[in-house]
Amino acid sequence: MIALRAGLVLAGFLLVWEGAAAALDGRFLLAGPRDILAYGQTHAALLGRALAETSRAAALGYLWGNLAALALAAIALLMPMSERLVRTLALVVFCLPLVATGPILRVLYGPGAGPQITLSALSVFYTTLIPLLAGLRATPRVWLDLVASYGRGRWSALTNVRAMAATPYLVAGLQIAAPAAFLGAMIGEFTGAERGMGVLTLRAMRSIDVDATWTLATLAAAVSMLAYAAAGQLGRLLWPGAPPVLLVAPAAPRSAPLWQRALQPLAMAGITLALWHGVMAAFDLNRFFAKRPADVWQFLTTREDARDTLLSALAETASTVGPGYLAGLAAGAGLAGLCVLLPRAAAVVLPVAVTLRAVPIVTTAPLIVLAAGRGAGGLVAIVAVMIFFPTLIACLHGLQRVPAAIVGVFDSYAAGRWRMLLDARIPSALPAFFASARMAVPAAVLAVTVAEWLATGTGTGNLMALAASTSDYNMLWSAVAALTLLAVAGHALVAWAEVAVFARYAPEQLVR
Amino acid sequence: MTSLFSNTTSRRRFLQVGGAALAAGTLPAWRAGAADPVTFQLSWLHSVQFGGSYIAAERGYWQEEGIDVSLAPGGPNAPVEPPVVTGTALMGISAADYTAAAVENGAPFKILAVAMQRNPFAISSLPDNPVNTPADLEGKSIGMATANTPVLKALCDMNGVDMNAIEVVPTQYDGAPLLSGQVDCLLSWSTDLPVAMVMQGAEPAVMLLADHGYSVHSQTYIATEDAIANRRADLVALLKGEVRGWNDYLADTDAAAELTVARYPDAGLDLATQKLQAERQVPLMFSDLTEESGFGWFTDETVAANVETLGLLGRNVTPDLWDRSILEEVHGA
Repeated sequence: MIALRAGLVLAGFLLVWEGAAAALDGRFLLAGPRDILAYGQTHAALLGRALAETSRAAALGYLWGNLAALALAAIALLMPMSERLVRTLALVVFCLPLVATGPILRVLYGPGAGPQITLSALSVFYTTLIPLLAGLRATPRVWLDLVASYGRGRWSALTNVRAMAATPYLVAGLQIAAPAAFLGAMIGEFTGAERGMGVLTLRAMRSIDVDATWTLATLAAAVSMLAYAAAGQLGRLLWPGAPPVLLVAPAAPRSAPLWQRALQPLAMAGITLALWHGVMAAFDLNRFFAKRPADVWQFLTTREDARDTLLSALAETASTVGPGYLAGLAAGAGLAGLCVLLPRAAAVVLPVAVTLRAVPIVTTAPLIVLAAGRGAGGLVAIVAVMIFFPTLIACLHGLQRVPAAIVGVFDSYAAGRWRMLLDARIPSALPAFFASARMAVPAAVLAVTVAEWLATGTGTGNLMALAASTSDYNMLWSAVAALTLLAVAGHALVAWAEVAVFARYAPEQLVR
Repeated sequence: MTSLFSNTTSRRRFLQVGGAALAAGTLPAWRAGAADPVTFQLSWLHSVQFGGSYIAAERGYWQEEGIDVSLAPGGPNAPVEPPVVTGTALMGISAADYTAAAVENGAPFKILAVAMQRNPFAISSLPDNPVNTPADLEGKSIGMATANTPVLKALCDMNGVDMNAIEVVPTQYDGAPLLSGQVDCLLSWSTDLPVAMVMQGAEPAVMLLADHGYSVHSQTYIATEDAIANRRADLVALLKGEVRGWNDYLADTDAAAELTVARYPDAGLDLATQKLQAERQVPLMFSDLTEESGFGWFTDETVAANVETLGLLGRNVTPDLWDRSILEEVHGA
């Protein structure tokens, strides 16, 4: 029965797809399933080699990125002082755009898969770290008190209590990471790789070979879906059965003294700048393309024209980040709600969502532009497509984590799905929602710059592309710094909203 | 690097002796050790665009010169300048406008030779709504990477065309916007999107910017002043192989395309496309000047024309940007 239904859904999906491709025939925008099958058959060996190459880089990136997230989360938890710093540095690193990192990685690694693996790892570590940090906090205070009363330290609390509570969040992170790792490896090939799915995608698009372009996209989506399913399976192995979520009494949060709160951002900025300079100096990166903070400072303070160019581009970008961010967040959370209300919808939503996440935006953007235009609407749509996925997955996990006792109460009153969603599921999903709200901030900033470069030719995205092509690395790194500041500011805004909401609904999430 | 052999003649003799040893089956490891490793940074993904270089590699022209060359592909996020500045790559493929910009930003580059005598930028359109002269651009929409806006502006300035009457639509990578009717014309290399369009069954009208005053050397060979001073012999050897490879290319472009496809089976290249591209590249790379003076040549006059166009692109350069001494050694030898 289930197999039959799944078969029907798949058949319907393929029919709609074939129909859309037929409707767009002659416009070189979309290929249908039959064309893809035909291309796949005639180019099987080539595609197989490319898939193996990119999958290898993606698997290694997935491994390293998630291990890095685990290590960072452990550091943050064992040394609570460091948590803000870990979060900030992770945000800053996640914010680095490919135009700036690509040349550096290629010069550091030389030929081979090094840059691809690194970029794949960079694109997954943050979306694992943030849910994990939320998960490690999703622990009833009484359990931690119990550990303490036995005279055990933080390590015991971490392994015996927090790790168990965090597992579902970790699984969400691992699932979010699956398509991101593959996409990261593909995009990484844009830095001058010899072979792989990304290389073939560029070639196919330049050759206006729509069949090849969409065969590659379909393959990328299929592999990502398998990886996504495998991560979910791993989660069920690690965490069999329903999560025993308990009702916990709220504990009053303590806030740090005022002087600490005032000094913290300054210390954070100082450490970030020191690391920026230190890492570049340690690797002896040439100042021509690896600009230090001092170079950027000198450039921006002496070149008034450049400063004005950057500021007006930044203003353009900033005005799009807000709508794009909200659209992505709303799409992710809305789809998660839909999947919970209508479990059958999930059979369509999740594959499409994984596909959109796994396929490079250069492939899908022409379709989005066709539907939404090249103006602000198209820009917002591209950003939403690029960032909604982590929110969808995190919220889906969150919505399913209602304490059993509450479900029992609602059931005994014969409350409907809606009531359950509004009054029980959404409040218990709030930690997951805010984790995604945090993750989406740097993702949205980056996505806007990509959309500007692809669709409108405006703002910081365009400025960075121009700077990179004219070796204006002072401008490029100034733009990187400005975008990072924008992301940090947005992140602070989300954190502020989070505190206000959590004080009421999930006090265990607040920093003590 | 050059201490073993102070001149290429003795190096060649050494390798001839080595050739005898190769027959005896004892040489490979020893020979690899003897050759200077050199990285040559290309400006884009592998394709027949660099056909002459592949010929030089496959037919052993660089081995004969005593260097072991690796050809590093480029890509959208793989600019040529950083590896050449750091010395990771000894030489790179650039274009006069990019090189001028890099020099303005502190890179100590010189242009050593010019593969594309005529700039490959072209505007393609469909035959029922063609752009045959710059004046035809007024009132039309053009799809292009916005980074190329200065190119369009320079073309307009040189031909008295009102740039404000042209609608610029940002596009990346592909020719679909023209074929699907979203734009009237596209700015790209004449060897790139127009070739793809022909392969897809369209017959685009192609207006070469070089025919309308746009004089910017393209596919230029660049190296740092440091490399020119300290690794001169390697640079001469590298360019010698290039010249021989490209001369072979001119003799048989189909063979060059076949060799490219066979050498890079993972690059997703289509032989028919490569053959057409190889053919269309010829008039850009070979001219009366190269026939007379040799592949890659440039003169005070062509440099002066470049300086003028670069000025319109907002790049203030002097003829010092070009250094012909290595090429003179190559062709004089």
